[in-house]
Amino acid sequence: MLTSFDLLLIGLSLVIFGAGLLKLKAAWSQGRPARRPGDLKGLVLYLLGQREILENRVAGLAHLALFWGVCFYLALAILAQFGPVIPPGLARLVSLISDLLGVALLAGLIFFALRRLGDREAAAPRGVLLPVAVLLIVVLSGFWAEGARLNLAPEGASWHAPAGWFFALLSPASPLFMQIMVRIHFFAVLLLLALVPFTFLRHLVTSSLNVYYRRQEPAGVIEPVDWQQPVIGADQRRDFNWKQLLDAEACVSCGRCEQSCPANISGKPLSPRKVMRALHENLRGGGGMEQSVSQDELWACTTCMACLEKCPVFVEPLDKLVDMRRYQVLDRGRLPSEAREMMRDLELYADTYGRGPAHREDWALGLEVPHISNLPGEAEVLLWVGCSGAFHPQYQQVARSMAHILNAAGVNFGILGKEEACCGDAARRLGDEERFETLAKKNIAALDKYGVKTLVCLCPHCYNTLRNEYPALGGHYQILSAVEFALRLIAKKRIYPKYPLAGRLTIHDPCYLGRGNGIYQPLRDLVGSLPGASLVELEQSRENGFCCGGGGGRMWLHEKLGENINNLRAAQVAHSGVQTVATACPFCLTMLEDGINSLETERPAKVRDLIEIVAMSLGRAH
Amino acid sequence: MRIVVCLKQIAHTYARSGRDPDSNYLEPEDKVLRINPCDEFALALALEAKEYLPGGAEVSLLTLGPILAQIELVRCLALGADWLFQVDAQGYLDPWQKSSLLARSVQKIEADLVLCGRESLDSANGQTGALLAHHLNMPFVSGVRKIDFGTEGPFAVVRRAAGRGTRQVLRCPLPAVFSVEAGNTIPAPPSYDQKRNLGSPPIQKLVLDAAGVAPRYVQEAQYPPRPRVKPLTPPDNCLDSYGRVSELLSGSSMEKKGRMLTGDPETQVEGIITFLQESGVLEPEKEGELDG
Ligand code: SF4
Ligand code: SF4
Repeated sequence: MLTSFDLLLIGLSLVIFGAGLLKLKAAWSQGRPARRPGDLKGLVLYLLGQREILENRVAGLAHLALFWGVCFYLALAILAQFGPVIPPGLARLVSLISDLLGVALLAGLIFFALRRLGDREAAAPRGVLLPVAVLLIVVLSGFWAEGARLNLAPEGASWHAPAGWFFALLSPASPLFMQIMVRIHFFAVLLLLALVPFTFLRHLVTSSLNVYYRRQEPAGVIEPVDWQQPVIGADQRRDFNWKQLLDAEACVSCGRCEQSCPANISGKPLSPRKVMRALHENLRGGGGMEQSVSQDELWACTTCMACLEKCPVFVEPLDKLVDMRRYQVLDRGRLPSEAREMMRDLELYADTYGRGPAHREDWALGLEVPHISNLPGEAEVLLWVGCSGAFHPQYQQVARSMAHILNAAGVNFGILGKEEACCGDAARRLGDEERFETLAKKNIAALDKYGVKTLVCLCPHCYNTLRNEYPALGGHYQILSAVEFALRLIAKKRIYPKYPLAGRLTIHDPCYLGRGNGIYQPLRDLVGSLPGASLVELEQSRENGFCCGGGGGRMWLHEKLGENINNLRAAQVAHSGVQTVATACPFCLTMLEDGINSLETERPAKVRDLIEIVAMSLGRAH
Repeated sequence: MRIVVCLKQIAHTYARSGRDPDSNYLEPEDKVLRINPCDEFALALALEAKEYLPGGAEVSLLTLGPILAQIELVRCLALGADWLFQVDAQGYLDPWQKSSLLARSVQKIEADLVLCGRESLDSANGQTGALLAHHLNMPFVSGVRKIDFGTEGPFAVVRRAAGRGTRQVLRCPLPAVFSVEAGNTIPAPPSYDQKRNLGSPPIQKLVLDAAGVAPRYVQEAQYPPRPRVKPLTPPDNCLDSYGRVSELLSGSSMEKKGRMLTGDPETQVEGIITFLQESGVLEPEKEGELDG
């Protein structure tokens, strides 16, 4: 029975627990406001299955054992307070389950303790060993108490307590010993409770909350800047919003983001885990992020979203990096010198190539590509060409291929021509939100002027920006990617690909179609609908796809540190032994081609856009 | 120290995408309003001086004629310039008149250093700086890339591009006029805060009497650029034949201007004749001559 001293102790540990939680909450509440609806169903399903955590098999299973073990004992302890009468059969079953779960829990604990003791990395999670040790004491003292009880009990050990039987062998048949173990068990549990907010165990609360408040929109969306704030972008902890600070509290430093970050893998100093760690320390200590995250780290991110995809607790290192870039550019006026020319071109000419609107229709010279205002009847779609489609010599071919496909299918389509401006993706991801908004508003005005409803985008970056980011500025359209639209044309039998593809082909998933918007299957379906297709998947594909290195404005920055990301990807392609790499993005096309050429292999794989491949299969390529 | 930076606003024509010979094949979107690029580099040098000079510097922008590129001028102010002076002037002025007007403005501002771009993107005279120095009776250095200021005495140590990669370091007493060469790195853009703090830009008008100065040289004629044949790079060998041909064919509409003639052969022939007449190859036919 509980004495009043026990009750006092329980009360005390509850108070410490509660005060600690309030302090944690105060830490992340320093942030700016943000709107995040909670997702209770998502949280419950997440906790039950722990699928995201199980992606890493061994650690995931150990985590599952800990989670279910603790939950089970907690439920048992609470139920026991009501002194329920249970039939002996059921009691034995419960005893067996609790025994086995205890063993699993012990194994999991030993795994985590060894893992923590084993690696001494600077970025490893902190405050782990203390709670693990206390939990070990809880489990061991529990088992020993059980063992002693079995020794004292008349019927002795039996099948429904195998672990108890084992511990009975190791413990004396003394009531005093049993009492001591029970007390240790009890104190250790209270200590553990009090430790939750102050050690690694805080993730029980913060990570669960983070799962509850996880992002509901696609991963590629970046939140707009609040121009009313005194500081634009983020440097100090108060410049981040509360969800971003909660992210920092929720990060368990597992390092999965870092292991899949192309910048990190290619030897650049950036590590998304380190960024989250820096923000976490900032929450406690102060000082700006500028001091803990160097310029080389900041500008190395390709915004590939691998860190978002891999994080088991839905932490998003990417939006912190973008906000920190915004701070550099908008607040400090420090745009990297290599990107200045492109940004100036955007300012003067509204395209990333600096060729100007007068040349924006040149790619369509001699083709039947009318301006949207010159269409007979209502337009079925507007073809959004993008800067690369309009100006990049190789991607112009893709734009022409798309025009050919649309004409072959008899689609009543038009383009904005000289009125189309850059979608603003590069400007936004390089931190120049002002330029992005100017361009976006210009485009929205032009699209609304012609009452455009449906757009087909060649470039995934345009696709993501128009589809996910323009609505916040008042541009609401139905946006399709060229791949989806071509697939639809084939499915509706409006075009008939007839010429077979030669050789084996693989697909490189563009980040902004795949991880950004979940478009993986349409690329495969499109290849599947072409005659003679023999598709080989790359080792890293779909969600695990490896970035080409060109996103996030990296296309315009120099790669001075470590290896070139595109060369790493090119090596993977070469390893797969295919003749063609199909992709669906102008940056991927250029980056992969450069990478493959730099390998100087004997028969380099050809990099082609899927749209070009479809046009070739139709019988004519541009 | 007072530094004056002369900024030329230009309507830079980068394309001729129109179809109408009367408008010189120009469309509204064929030009961008901007500040002469070299002048932007001059401004960057002035702002650098403002930042690093122990006593700081006051940077005044000076522009001649009507305000064309307001946004760009405001951008220059946001970068950190203190004043913007506009010299009132209308119509065509030759370099002599321009420099004389500018010189008198500089005297009004009482500048210690005058910076301008080496030459302008639209007329490429490259004279304004030199003539300005002449009017002001100041030393002149052209092609300046970097300026350092002496600690004792009013002089500057400038680094200039002396052509074909040679770099020269000169010591020059102040006040002086320097014309600045475009650098390799584009100056950093203004921060949002700088723009936000600017409020409404203060433009100060300087009204000077231009009537007294006669032009020294008069333009006799000016010809628009001839459509030039674009030097073709050999097509990419990796492409298939169709790809190679279309790569050869792809050029901007500035280089190749064509008009598709439609209709039956007769109207097409008429089209060709009209075209030849319009471009002055054929004499325009006289009324009734064919019948006679
Ligand atoms: S978005 Fe990609 S490059 Fe950037 S930190 Fe995350 S994983 Fe690394
Ligand atoms: S951000 Fe997520 S994936 Fe990265 S270390 Fe933290 S918890 Fe792990």
